[in-house]
Amino acid sequence: MKTKLNFHKTMGADIVLKVLAEEGVDTIFGYPGANTLPLNDRMAESPIRHYLMRHEQAAAHAADGYARATGKTGVCLSTSGPGATNLVTGIATAYMDSTPLVAITAQVNSDLWGKDAFQETDIIGITMPITKHSFMVRDPNQLESSLRKAFHLARSGRPGPVLIDIPRDILGPVDNGNPRDMPENAPLITDDASSLARIAEALNRSERPIILIGGGIKLGDACARATRFVLEKRIPFTSTMMGIGSITSANGLNLGFIGTHGNETANSVIHQSDFILALGVRFTERSTSVISEFAPLAQVAQIDIDPTSVGKNIPVDFQWIGDIKDALEALSALVSPRDRPAWDQRIEEERTNRASRNGDDGCGEAGALIRKIQAAMPRDTIVVPDVGLNQIWTVRTWQCHTPRSLITTGGMGTMGFSVPAAIGARVGAPEREVVVICGDGGFYMNIQELATISSYRLPIKIVILNNGHLGMIRQMQDLFFDSRFTTSALGGAVDLVAVARGFGIPAERISAQDHAEEAITRMREAEGPYLIEALIDQDNYVYPIIPPGKSNVEMISGKDGRA
Amino acid sequence: MAVQEHIISLLVNNQPGVLSRIAGVFSSKGYNIRSLCVAETTNPEISRITLTSRADRDFTDKIKKQLDRLVDIISVTDLTDIPSVKRELMILGLRVREENRQEILRAIDLFGCRIVAMDADYLILEVTANTDKTVAILKFFEPFGVEEMNRTGAIAVFRQSPS
Ligand SMILES: Cc1ncc(C[n+]2csc(CCOP(=O)(O)OP(=O)(O)O)c2C)c(N)n1
Repeated sequence: MKTKLNFHKTMGADIVLKVLAEEGVDTIFGYPGANTLPLNDRMAESPIRHYLMRHEQAAAHAADGYARATGKTGVCLSTSGPGATNLVTGIATAYMDSTPLVAITAQVNSDLWGKDAFQETDIIGITMPITKHSFMVRDPNQLESSLRKAFHLARSGRPGPVLIDIPRDILGPVDNGNPRDMPENAPLITDDASSLARIAEALNRSERPIILIGGGIKLGDACARATRFVLEKRIPFTSTMMGIGSITSANGLNLGFIGTHGNETANSVIHQSDFILALGVRFTERSTSVISEFAPLAQVAQIDIDPTSVGKNIPVDFQWIGDIKDALEALSALVSPRDRPAWDQRIEEERTNRASRNGDDGCGEAGALIRKIQAAMPRDTIVVPDVGLNQIWTVRTWQCHTPRSLITTGGMGTMGFSVPAAIGARVGAPEREVVVICGDGGFYMNIQELATISSYRLPIKIVILNNGHLGMIRQMQDLFFDSRFTTSALGGAVDLVAVARGFGIPAERISAQDHAEEAITRMREAEGPYLIEALIDQDNYVYPIIPPGKSNVEMISGKDGRA
Repeated sequence: MAVQEHIISLLVNNQPGVLSRIAGVFSSKGYNIRSLCVAETTNPEISRITLTSRADRDFTDKIKKQLDRLVDIISVTDLTDIPSVKRELMILGLRVREENRQEILRAIDLFGCRIVAMDADYLILEVTANTDKTVAILKFFEPFGVEEMNRTGAIAVFRQSPS
C-alpha cells in the first residue's frame, strides 16, 4: 500500500498557537491530558507561557484574575471529560462578572465523538448557559476562524467567556487548505444621541441626583472618563460591589457601595435621591434588596452596552445602549454643574450620623487588621478577597487608589476564587504587589494552588482570616436561625502554618491584635510568597446587614435587630 | 399583565446546537415553548424557526433581547401584532359511523379539509388553517371520535413584502 504524502499538512496545534500569539496572548493557565498533548507538545517552540496549575478550576480562575488585572482576555486550557467539567465553576464565575475569557478544551478524536468514549463529555452542552458562545471545531478549515471569532466575541460588547472545544485529531496534522470564515455578526447597536440629551436634561433638572457606578465602567475601560465626569459635575456617587475602585481619587463625592452588605450612607442616600444615573449596572437584588422598595422617589436612567441588562430588573425612565465612554463623552457636554446646597447638606448629615455610630465600619478587629495590611503595602497593591465575611470586610475597608486594584467575585460569589485569581493577577501584573484575603473555608477550596505559587515562586502575600468557621454562614445562623450553628464549624485541628511551610511557603500565625504590624512587615519584606494565619474571633461579624426580604434602608446593626 | 399567545419568527445559522441554545433562553427565563417549526430557507446555510409561546407583554422585549444576544441568530421578529399570514397543518384520524357519515362529509366540505385516506369507517383528514380555526375544527370533530391527531404548530410569512 502506498502511503499518502502529507506535503501540505499543518499541525492544528500550531494554528492554535499562532492565532493565540496574534491575538496578543502571552500566557495560558492550564492542565494537560491525553487530548491536549498535541498542543502541549508544540508549546516548547512557542513564545506563549503555559502555567501549570494544580486543578482546572484554578486555571479558569487564574485566567479570570489575569483578565481582571490586565484588561486583556484570559485564556485557560484543559483536557476533555473531567478536565473540562472542572473548568465549569471558573467559567460561570467569569460569566457572572463579564470577564473576557477564552476557555480551550480538548475533545476526544472526531471519530470517537458520540460513542461515550473515554473522557468524552458534551462540554458545549454543559456550558451553554454560562458562556457567551461556544464552538465545537468539526473541520480543520474552521479552526483558525473559530479561534479568532472566540476572541472577538469574548471582548466585544458585554465581555464574557467563550469556549472552544477542539478534538484531538484536529490538534494534530490536518489539511486546512480551504479555510472557511465564520458568518459575520450583526454590528452592535448604539442608541442615538437624542436619548442622551433627554437624560442630561432630566439630570440637570433634578434636585437630588446620584450616580451609580457598576462593573461596566472597568469593563468598558472608562474609569478615567467617569472620574473626570464626576469631578467636573460634582455629583455624588455610589457604586455596586463590582464598581468599587472605578473612581479612585478621594474627592468627597464617594458615598460607598450599596446593597446587602453595603455602606449605610450609600443605601440611605440613594433611597432619598430623585434621579439615578446608572452606568454599567445590572441592578441585581444584591444591590437593590427588595426591588419594589428600591429608590422609590427616583427616576432611573440606565446606560449600558448590553440591551438585555437594561430594564431587566427594574423599570427605567431613560435608557441609552452603547459604549459607556461615548455616553460619558456626550454627557459631559450636556450636563451642567449645579449647586444643590440642600442635597449636599442632607448627604453631609447622613455621613456624620453614621460615622459617629459605626466608628470601625462594622468590621471589628478583622477590619482593623485589613487596614494595617493596606497601610503597609504599596498604594497600587491588588487585593483579592475570597468569599464570606472576609470579602465584605475587605470591600468595606480597603481603599482603592488605582484602577484594577480590587479583584473579587461579585455575581457568583465563588469560594476558593482568591488564591488562583491572585496567581493570574500577579502573572498579568508582575510589577504590582498582590494580597489575598481569605477565610479558612475558602482557603481549603483551592489549597492545592499553594503548590503552583511556590513552584513558580510567585511573590503573592496570603492572609487567612481564620475564625474556625464558615463565618458568614455562622452570622446568618446567629441572626436568622436562632443561633443554631449546624454545619458551619470547621474546627481548629489543622496547622495552616505547617501546611504552608509544607508547600514551601514561609508562614506565621498571629492573633488579630497582637504583633500584627511586625508580621505584616515581614510579609511585605519577604522576597517570595508569604502566608499569615490571623486568628479572628468567631463572633466578629459584619454590620450593618440587610436581612433577607428587607429593603436597603432596613439595615440592622446587631443581633437585637437595632437599626 | 395580559397573557397572550406570541408567535416568533427567527432566522438562524443552520448549525448544530442552535436550537438547543434557543430552547435554553426560553427555559432559563421560565417560558414554555408551545409549538415549534424548523426548516431550511432558500439559502441552505440559514434556517427559519417559528415558535409560539404564551406570555405577558414584557415577553417580546425580554426574550427578544436575550435571543438577539445569541451569536447564531440573524433576526428575531415577534409577528403577534404584525400583519402576516399564519398557518398550521393538522392531521386527524376520525372514526366514521353510519349515522353521522353525512354530517362529517358536509363539515369536511364546509371547513375546506382534505381527505387523504379513507376506509369504510375511518378517515384521515388534512387541515391547513390558522391556529384558531384549526382548534375549532378539532373541537367540532372530537365528539365523533378523533382517534389520532397531530399538529405542526404555526408557520408564518409577512403579509407585505419584507423589503
Ligand atoms: C463554592 C461555594 N460554596 C458555598 C458557598 C456559600 N458560602 C458563602 S460564604 C460561606 C462561608 C465562607 O466561610 P470562610 O471561607 O471561612 O470565610 P468567612 O465567612 O469566615 O470569612 C459559604 C459556605 C459559596 N459562596 N461558594
